[in-house]
Amino acid sequence: MRRRRHPWRILAIPIFAVIGILYAFPLYWLLATSLKSKAELYQATLTLYPQAPTLQPYVSVLVERGFWVLLRNSVVVCTLSVVIALILGLLITYPITRLEISPRVRVGILNWALSLRFLPPIAVVVPYFAVVRTLGLYDQPQALILIYSLLNLPFTIWMLKGFLSEIPRELEEAAFTDGAGRWTAFRLVLLPLAWPGLFAAAVIVFTFTWSEFLFALILTSTPNAQTFPVGVQGLVTQFEVIWNDMAAAGTIALALPLVLMVLARRYVIAGLTFGVVREK
Amino acid sequence: MLAPVLGAILVVVTYPFLLALLQSLQDAAGHEFVGLRNYVNALVNPLLYEALAATGIYASLVLPTEILLGLGFALLVHRTVRNSAWRALLFVMATIPLVLPPIAVGVIARLIYAPGYGVLNHLLIVTGVIRDEINWLGQPATAMPAVASVDIWQWTPFVYLVLFSGLLTVPREEIEAAQVDGASGWDQFWHIELNYLRPLLLLIVFFRLADVLRVFDHVFVLTGGGPGNTTQLLSLYLYRIEFKYFDSGQAAALAVMVLVGVSIAYSLVTRLLPVERR
Repeated sequence: MRRRRHPWRILAIPIFAVIGILYAFPLYWLLATSLKSKAELYQATLTLYPQAPTLQPYVSVLVERGFWVLLRNSVVVCTLSVVIALILGLLITYPITRLEISPRVRVGILNWALSLRFLPPIAVVVPYFAVVRTLGLYDQPQALILIYSLLNLPFTIWMLKGFLSEIPRELEEAAFTDGAGRWTAFRLVLLPLAWPGLFAAAVIVFTFTWSEFLFALILTSTPNAQTFPVGVQGLVTQFEVIWNDMAAAGTIALALPLVLMVLARRYVIAGLTFGVVREK
Repeated sequence: MLAPVLGAILVVVTYPFLLALLQSLQDAAGHEFVGLRNYVNALVNPLLYEALAATGIYASLVLPTEILLGLGFALLVHRTVRNSAWRALLFVMATIPLVLPPIAVGVIARLIYAPGYGVLNHLLIVTGVIRDEINWLGQPATAMPAVASVDIWQWTPFVYLVLFSGLLTVPREEIEAAQVDGASGWDQFWHIELNYLRPLLLLIVFFRLADVLRVFDHVFVLTGGGPGNTTQLLSLYLYRIEFKYFDSGQAAALAVMVLVGVSIAYSLVTRLLPVERR
């Protein structure tokens, strides 16, 4: 039987079109601006598309302004933060999903991790700034790596707990009866099964860390440790604003999460809601 | 294995809080104890109340708009898009804004609202809506809506995704039974679907309220808190006290008060959060 057409349908198409434009145009405008030459920016009338597309702004940002160093910092900091957050996350979620641990401890840990989600970073930045300075880690990538691993830990715990508790315990128990130890069972049975979840968590933590700005702004001051978002901000608040360079930097900052997101798209919303919303 | 890891993390998380507490009781140089003077200074500073007001205005612009638009769009898609491939496509598209760095989104907003190059003025003049450029980010009346619009752009898709997934959990039989009884689309929403969405709406409100206190990046690049202090949200205010006025005592006092306030609020609402804590 053919379903009766819903009366809202007539409404739907124009609404979808408007929303599509509202989302596509800003992204288009960023890209278009990043492809304009400097001469074009100073024309009397605004051009809605680049008249002579050029990659010069990208060269200017990455090479002439030396932002490739910040890009490298970002990649290093994000990668190491992801690795540490996942290791710590596993060290906490393996016991609470696999070992005989009192439910109170388990619930306590999860509640504690959830509560950190509500902590405003700005209130934490002030004391961390003091700690980082006394430790001599100001303007060092290590400070960012440590803090990012911690900041992402609550989220990592909740994601890994979700993935690990979905893998039946019986599989490992079968390995135990075959004489495998805990470590062997973890490595040969659990890890391969948990791999997609670990990968998704890694991608999402990487994306969050990539976007982080506040801590990077406060705890770094030179290209020794500055991350890419700090560089982008520097271009925006400069005295003379160079739109195409700014747009190119913005495009670069935006590109990586966009690509990574495609890999982990099914887990983003589950992650952001602490598993309340499951992917379909 | 679990105990040492948790212990270490607890120390790393708690130590800065104790330090902040200590800092809040000392003078800015950290030489002598001043009792509660920093707290008094923080509380009598009129800028604090401007910041709280700005945060309140921001929240009241952003939250209802995001929830209503997100809910409307979730219902619209649920009722008109039947094809699962289209639904999957919308799902992916809606995820995109959520992962974009707020700094980059701030840059985009600047390319749209800024005087001179901002494309919004250009489009409005070309279409004849306005005659002269509007300084969106430079006037109190438009700066806050401009800043809020960025939040709405980035986070309405989150509301949509959560509520749409909630609509998928509504049992078909209940809807069909209601339709047989002649229920209107509105009845269907108000008496059936809303019951399934209620816990999710609660989750959205809590998460988004917590996020309002986090907002920093896009406001920092768009207006920096200006014009005047109209868009100086609490987070930007705290930043200014610590890193522009270098009053670390007052900043620590503010940080402690925010932490305590959030903790109290959290402990009051945590039971209502529809999160599976097993």
